[in-house]
Amino acid sequence: MGLKKLAAKVIDYNERLENGQASEIKPLHVEKVLEKLRSKSTELEVEIASAKSADKKTRLESKLQIARTHIERAEWLLKELN
Amino acid sequence: MKRYLLPVAIGSLLLAFWFSPDAQEIAAGVAIFLFGMLMLEDGFKLLGGGTLERVLERATQSTPRAISFGIISTTLLQSSSLVSIVTISFLSAGLISLVGGVGIIFGANIGTTTGAWLVAGLGLKVNIAAYAMPMIAVSIVLVFQKSKPVRGLGYALAGLGFLFLGIHYMKEGFDAFKDQIDLTRFALSGLLGLIVYSLIGTGATVIMQSSHATLVLILTALSAGQISYENALALSIGANIGTTITAIIGSLGANFQGKRLALAHLIFNMVTAIVALVFIAQLRDMVDWISGLVGIAPSDYTMKLAVFHTIFNVLGVTLMLPFLTRLIAFLERRIVEPAPDVSRPRYLNEAVDEFPQTLERALRKEVFHLYENAAELILHGLNLHREQVFATDDVAGLVRKSRTRLELDLEDDYERRVKTLFSGIVEFSARASDKQIDPDIAERIFALRDVARQIVQAVKSIKHIRKNVLRYTVRPQGATTELYDELRTEIARIAVEIRKLGLAESKDRSALWLDQERARIEEDARSTSKRVDALIRKRDLTPAAATSFMNDSGYAYDAMRDLIEAARSYYIERDSAMAEVERILSLDDEELNEAVTNAKRAARTGESEQTVTGLS
Repeated sequence: MGLKKLAAKVIDYNERLENGQASEIKPLHVEKVLEKLRSKSTELEVEIASAKSADKKTRLESKLQIARTHIERAEWLLKELN
Repeated sequence: MKRYLLPVAIGSLLLAFWFSPDAQEIAAGVAIFLFGMLMLEDGFKLLGGGTLERVLERATQSTPRAISFGIISTTLLQSSSLVSIVTISFLSAGLISLVGGVGIIFGANIGTTTGAWLVAGLGLKVNIAAYAMPMIAVSIVLVFQKSKPVRGLGYALAGLGFLFLGIHYMKEGFDAFKDQIDLTRFALSGLLGLIVYSLIGTGATVIMQSSHATLVLILTALSAGQISYENALALSIGANIGTTITAIIGSLGANFQGKRLALAHLIFNMVTAIVALVFIAQLRDMVDWISGLVGIAPSDYTMKLAVFHTIFNVLGVTLMLPFLTRLIAFLERRIVEPAPDVSRPRYLNEAVDEFPQTLERALRKEVFHLYENAAELILHGLNLHREQVFATDDVAGLVRKSRTRLELDLEDDYERRVKTLFSGIVEFSARASDKQIDPDIAERIFALRDVARQIVQAVKSIKHIRKNVLRYTVRPQGATTELYDELRTEIARIAVEIRKLGLAESKDRSALWLDQERARIEEDARSTSKRVDALIRKRDLTPAAATSFMNDSGYAYDAMRDLIEAARSYYIERDSAMAEVERILSLDDEELNEAVTNAKRAARTGESEQTVTGLS
């Protein structure tokens, strides 16, 4: 599935944009979100390093994975916009 | 009293028209002037597109800034009443401080004096009707345009045109009137004149609800020689007292803060008026001295009235400023803040209905108020204390230790602290949808109503599981207790994460973080189901307990999903383009599933690589 669904969302967004139903996304908007995601990811990495219990570590690692997925998607979106 | 007011007003007008046809011209002039003010207000609202409201929030960071804002906005809008109403609305919505609000009112009193300068310096000196006609004609072309700012410009231009036309008719009316009746016969001198004409000025402003209109009427009458200069001074003092009525009326639907501001306005204008009346002789001398300095002719009474109006309002602000802190303390003592009642809407009142910006912000705050009540109730329903949950680093450990039954009537608390607020929110949103507001704001208002609905749903879900939480978690009962503890832990963790999101600076937070929680609970929901099956097979869980738990876990996961969705909608980016980015990047259930599976695969690969490395 990969980024297929994301691409479909972008197509849908473009249609809404053409109909005047969406605000125009500029690369700067994506960069700002990307920055937030990267700082969250770093925060999670620090938390993982200091986690004492294995359970907490696992939980944080799965959160980190989602954060990385978001980063990957944001980078893709940024590339598409550029 | 109220029902007699309208017939009396109309009767008096008809009587005046019958008595003197020229009175019609004066009355029509006042009506056209007031109509112009309304158009000017509408024009600036359209033209600014909420600029006034946006600037207002930032304008109250210091008293000098608040005063400057009051001066500038009133000068531009030529209406201190509109500025007062916006300020009361913002104060009631909790968007500005009382000190800031009082500062704006002080500034508005100075700003309103520019009107007298415009009329005395321009309106009565040149044939402004000659400008009014083309302005009105051009404005109507602009009013019919599609673009909001152009339409706003049209309304503002028409407003200005009608203001000029109103002044022209008042002037003409008084000029014609003086040939028939000499109103100066009714002139009163000395203390009696001061008191009587101050009262007339107050009454006229209360009726017209515009000190600006009263002042223009005074200036035109003075220019036509129909009132004496001395009486005109008293009338203008009275107009300053009468103008407080607009703020008082505006504060009737406001909360305690709005009422405090209206009282501050009344105190300020009364004190200024009393000082002006007591020192009227000295003020007159000062006016003569300043007029001489700036080159105003000794017989130019209209300009001298404008000087007087400015001096006594500036004097009022100068006198009151050193007592600002004491004034605030007095207001807070006099109008006491009602004891916080968690069961009543705190931010939704009629005063915030006035402007879309205050409406949305007040609703946002109220939804947060509802969430605070709901979060406390949810955690109490799980026998957990909110403060302990938010303070701990080990939620699971805290939950295992929390075995004491919390005495609460969840049903009653739900009715009192959740349902009443939700009803208030629903009613407020419905009222808002009746108003013609920007579609974007309307959409955000409905989204906030949905957030409130999801919060309520979450509480309802917890109500369902409360019975078994008490049954299985107060006394340890093996695997069943462990399962219920896990549910309690997961819900508590969601509350912690939502709190973290709320505490984060808006520039740093992203609603996307909640995808991490969503992924976690969906994964937990699946693993819990498998675990229950295993426990039944091992006979560690009775089928009856398993059925109860499966029902309850359904409710618990629904509550978690509702809370996450509510938080996502609440904390989604306010910037619409950024919100679009978040919506696009957000993962749906299938994508979340895939991300979790990938994470597991990556973890397994990591483990096996470590094992291989360890072996070699």
